[in-house]
Amino acid sequence: MLARTHRLRVALATLATTALVLASCQGAEPQELLVLEWAGYEAEDFWTDFQTANPEVPVDFEFGTTDADILSLMQAGSQADIFHFYTGWQQFYVDEGLVREIDTSKLTNWDAVPADMQALGQIDGKQYFIPWDWGFSSILYNTEQIAEVTSWDALFNEEYAGHVSMWDDGPAAVTVSAYINGWDETAITDEQLAQIEEDWIAQKPLNLHYWDSEYENLCPEVTSGDIWVAYAWQGCYASALYEGAPVAYANPEEGRNSWVGLYGINADTDSYELALQFLDLKLAELTCGNAVTLFYYGCANEDVMAAVEDPVLIEAFGINDPSILETTNFTPPVTAEQRDAWTAMWTRVKAE
Amino acid sequence: MLGRRGALRFLALPPYVWLGLFFVLPLILIVAISFRPETGPINFDDPWAPTLVQYQRVWETESYLRLLGVSVLMALVVAGAATLLAYPVAYFLAFRARDRAVFYLVLLLIPFAASYLLKIMAWRLMLGQEGAINSFLQYIGLTAEPLDLLLYSRAAVIIALIYVWIPFAALPIYAAMQRINRGHQEAAADLGAGPWSRFWRITVPLSLPGALAAFFMVFIPTVGEYVTPSLVGGTEGFMYGNLIQDFFTSAANWAQGSALAVIMLVVTLVLVIVALRVVDVRRLSS
Repeated sequence: MLARTHRLRVALATLATTALVLASCQGAEPQELLVLEWAGYEAEDFWTDFQTANPEVPVDFEFGTTDADILSLMQAGSQADIFHFYTGWQQFYVDEGLVREIDTSKLTNWDAVPADMQALGQIDGKQYFIPWDWGFSSILYNTEQIAEVTSWDALFNEEYAGHVSMWDDGPAAVTVSAYINGWDETAITDEQLAQIEEDWIAQKPLNLHYWDSEYENLCPEVTSGDIWVAYAWQGCYASALYEGAPVAYANPEEGRNSWVGLYGINADTDSYELALQFLDLKLAELTCGNAVTLFYYGCANEDVMAAVEDPVLIEAFGINDPSILETTNFTPPVTAEQRDAWTAMWTRVKAE
Repeated sequence: MLGRRGALRFLALPPYVWLGLFFVLPLILIVAISFRPETGPINFDDPWAPTLVQYQRVWETESYLRLLGVSVLMALVVAGAATLLAYPVAYFLAFRARDRAVFYLVLLLIPFAASYLLKIMAWRLMLGQEGAINSFLQYIGLTAEPLDLLLYSRAAVIIALIYVWIPFAALPIYAAMQRINRGHQEAAADLGAGPWSRFWRITVPLSLPGALAAFFMVFIPTVGEYVTPSLVGGTEGFMYGNLIQDFFTSAANWAQGSALAVIMLVVTLVLVIVALRVVDVRRLSS
């Protein structure tokens, strides 16, 4: 009888211990992260503070090639805890319930982000996204071949045939055409889109190629002199300056374009706290500084930007130009219909 | 105990399961997705309401159909050239290499050990304005200026693809030549046939099944090729496979991309069936 009671006690104790262990396992966050990124952003310099703080936490990356691609991966149920995209696409993630609200009270570097930038990540008063990298889009040109570029229409100049390179991106093509024609890019009509398509089909033979990776198939050919005029971000401009290439970055009369990269946390993540810490430390001075000094992207930490002393970077970011923001067009949000129509237009241009 | 037939079935099960899961099932999914009306990725919770709207859009877009035609033509050129160039390689291995055949075969397969991307990137260096080919042409005085058309053109895509496929194409031709009974050649020689006559009347017909297999082995994947055009094609080298890729990535429109993929699959299959009907392999090789 005693032996039987003892066995029962042992069995109950084992059961209770197992239940406790299982319960504690369920409560603990997995100590690993998966980030849906753009190729190149997996470099450790881009998350060095997090790595230092959490050397034991594995961080894996999966990649998207465009904003549409990243959105579609998230819609398809990506397991990524964190995802990275650019301005104009915020609303889709919120509307489809793909993103979790960010508790900014847990971010130690949040105060270093200017209020205007913080606002870019807010929808309906809630902070869903953290701004991180930013920059300009404009015309990068070879000053030995071209005296001055004053308009975005330089991309359509037949004198530069075979030495032009446009970014392989439908919405960017629509934006450029809207600037040149003075159209409101948020209200492009079907007729205007048809005109844009015709213009880009006519422009197609001028390109050496469409570029899709800044540092792989744009900057090297700008530096080598094969590309004279290109749609480019300021990172490539800084890179070419460091290489000693004869280049300038235009201030077109229609204005430059500006973009901001944002991070969101997957609504279904099991690693919310770790993801928050990852994003907080993305904003830390060393990591943000690496984005600026190693990759020539602007960073949302204003203390980092204020500390920039390198003349090449000051020139690339227009830090000493007080009028730069007045003449800059910020990327507006697009609707799903616009996105589909613009990307379909671009595939037709490429298929011609 | 399993009988002989049972054992064979048991052994064949893993590859069938593998093909079913990773080939047939994805293919069925692609076909199913192509009948969906909406853009974006697929939510399996959505009700199934098949429509032909994606096919209608492709049909109404002339540039897509034209691009399919161009891609088929490019694939024909690549498959034809790769097969022709692979033929002498296979002939050498089968009839001339003798004891060293295995060594040369290994040499032929060595390029497979290098990354595909690396090989195509090497072609960018070869075909570039200051690349090996342009430098050579200028050195021998054939051109005064570097030729622009070598890189970022349709020609660059075709050249790079032919290079990539030659070793693949050589293998089925070599296998067919290995099966040729040497007695036929000896009998023909005894009856007074010269080397050229023996080659045309014995070797070529008997190796044709291998050559045709090589042709289709190159032709079918080349129609849907997208990596090589992305790297060396520029704006003019864009192929139908790039279009499909764009719809799955840049455009995030899986339904349209699936419809394009299904159309390509059907067109390629029809072309292969028609070709096999026109060319009677059995009659040629008998």
